[in-house]
Amino acid sequence: MEPYIFGCRLEQDIIDLDKTVDHLQHALNFTAHIAYRKGIILFVSRSRQFSHLIGKTAKDCGEYAHTRYWQGGLLTNSNIQYGVGVRLPDLIIFFHTLNNVFEQHTAVRDAAKMNIPTVGIVDTNCNPSLISFPIPGNDDTPSAVELYCRLFKMSVIRGKDKRKQAELLYGL
Amino acid sequence: MAGSRLEKIGTVFTRVQNLLRAGVIKESEKPIWFDVYAAFPPQREPVYQKQRKYQVKIADPIPEIFYREDKIRAQFYAVYGNGPRAFELNRPNFISVCQRFVEKYQELEKLGDTDEDRLFEETGKALLAEGIILRKKGISGQAQQHSSQVTEGIDPILQMKLKDMLKEMQEEQHPVDNPPESSESHQKTPATE
Repeated sequence: MEPYIFGCRLEQDIIDLDKTVDHLQHALNFTAHIAYRKGIILFVSRSRQFSHLIGKTAKDCGEYAHTRYWQGGLLTNSNIQYGVGVRLPDLIIFFHTLNNVFEQHTAVRDAAKMNIPTVGIVDTNCNPSLISFPIPGNDDTPSAVELYCRLFKMSVIRGKDKRKQAELLYGL
Repeated sequence: MAGSRLEKIGTVFTRVQNLLRAGVIKESEKPIWFDVYAAFPPQREPVYQKQRKYQVKIADPIPEIFYREDKIRAQFYAVYGNGPRAFELNRPNFISVCQRFVEKYQELEKLGDTDEDRLFEETGKALLAEGIILRKKGISGQAQQHSSQVTEGIDPILQMKLKDMLKEMQEEQHPVDNPPESSESHQKTPATE
């Protein structure tokens, strides 16, 4: 996380917000494009404080969320867990990269294994190396998580609206 | 669908690109995100990097953030403790006593003073003139009354009021000669008059 941190003020790491804006832009753009191409998006978080909010966000934009315990083989053993020929998500968005024991969420590694790109909010205690589009930012306070929920919901809805528009205009 | 589960080698994109090139994945089975990723690649390639548990000496560690005002703030908190007024965090543009002290200090410094101790005292006096009472921390009740620089806090005045009240009660109950009084009750302050 060193390149994304601006400095340390009285033992508190301060994230460089210029970099955050840049990364956020890229990540939201990617999300919108995936939504435009009718991709399946999965919101993942293991923070119990925000599990309801993230589930509601997913429902509001017509995508999916997984905010409970992540069983080992959900992505890697999906044929047996869910049945043969399951369609896996095309993008996984992490609101919290760490699980409840402050270790990296299994889904980060599993998504990389299954060749699924990831977008994730990485705080100063996270490892951003496996995440395709990391967003350095605070993932602990409610106001921050609410902001991210709003932004992702907006980009997914915009992507889908654009798709509907294009289908009507060009008969895709 | 064929895949490559080697998350520690290369990135998601390079692996899928190579599978496509080799013909393992057909063009029709190309993942949805592939073209988007190719058009808008991330700033950093998401190659796996192991986090070192025990930090080895890094050439460029995270810089500490310190300001020139921190020196003045440190002095303020050492002498006056937390300050008379608490921080109001619900107001966004709240200026604390310490911040006003710092601003006054810098104003006086600009006027030409350079001696730190004198500047400190001058700022204290200037704030007193504006109505902010600063109480030096760690000084007992007796010593406080002898110091002329600092105005007395609330507590000694309350103590005096209580003592006067007790004395009046005693006089009412037992009309005897009063015992030798301490110096505290002789002092007359505007509050008790």
